[in-house]
Amino acid sequence: MLTKGPAKKVTIFINEDAPHRMTSLHDALMTFLLHKNVAGATATRAFSGFGSHHALHTPRMEATAEHLPIRIEFIETAERVDELLPTLYEMVTDGLIEVQDTVVIKLARPSTQPDPKLPHQRKAGPAKMLRIFLGEADKFEDEALYDAIVKKLRLMDIAGATVYRGILGYGAKGHQHKQSFLHVSRDLPIMLSVIDTPEKIRAAAEVIEGMLEDGLLVISDVEMIRLVRS
Amino acid sequence: MRTQPGKILRVHVSESDRYQGQPLFEAIVARCRELKIAGATVFRALEGYGESAELHRAHLGRHDQPIVIVIVDSPENLDRLVPKIEEMLDTGVLAISEVEMIRVVTDPRVSA
Repeated sequence: MLTKGPAKKVTIFINEDAPHRMTSLHDALMTFLLHKNVAGATATRAFSGFGSHHALHTPRMEATAEHLPIRIEFIETAERVDELLPTLYEMVTDGLIEVQDTVVIKLARPSTQPDPKLPHQRKAGPAKMLRIFLGEADKFEDEALYDAIVKKLRLMDIAGATVYRGILGYGAKGHQHKQSFLHVSRDLPIMLSVIDTPEKIRAAAEVIEGMLEDGLLVISDVEMIRLVRS
Repeated sequence: MRTQPGKILRVHVSESDRYQGQPLFEAIVARCRELKIAGATVFRALEGYGESAELHRAHLGRHDQPIVIVIVDSPENLDRLVPKIEEMLDTGVLAISEVEMIRVVTDPRVSA
């Protein structure tokens, strides 16, 4: 199964009219990848190109228009790629196969019909809670700091975060955050609360520390009971 | 990452609670400032119930929602603060837990 993190990207360059047994090579390759349950593959037809024969294939000349380059790309785990490469090597008799290291950042698949009756999973155990105190008006690269932190936490795959807005408070800078009828303050105190495993909280705290200008991070031990649907 | 041991105090009161004529939560924050506590933040909750088992929620024209005051400081400062707040409360809950603190201060006007 392909997951977030390091992976391999395979690119195959062939000709559109390259044959393979009774069909075209690109069809054969795509069918093969599909049957092998590869996470996904894309075949694109190039606008123009040339290969080892040094003949430019372009749609401008009818004689060469049938030889346009095809590029097939797919991303899989290193083990799966190793498994597939011998067959691909056999199949591609005229063309080029290239493998590069890549990193999968997001692997999102909308769940197909979530079953509401599916019982949730109970995950319990010691965890850490991180509270971050900041001001509503604090900015990080032109966006609200609390927004930027939540985005960052999502990217880091932290289990969850909640933003609270206080009604009154004071902190590092000593100025009072308060809202009154006549004066609508846009700088009320904000607290974020994040709960996850100790390692993940530690990593998150370090990243957030770098994003804060003034503020307070507080870490405490908690007992976590998480009900999740996997 | 440099952390220092600290304590977090949560004071649960009601928005309608009063202390010497002013809202109790404002009086508590003012007392924290007087005692040079590092910071205090007041949150208003949507709904809750406590000792009187009476549901606190927003009514038309009357605010009686639960209030939580969160205060983080060194164990010594909080030990100094807790009895002072206790004196001010009629009913309410004080909860204290141990934490690790990281204070981020880059403003040169502010001493860490």
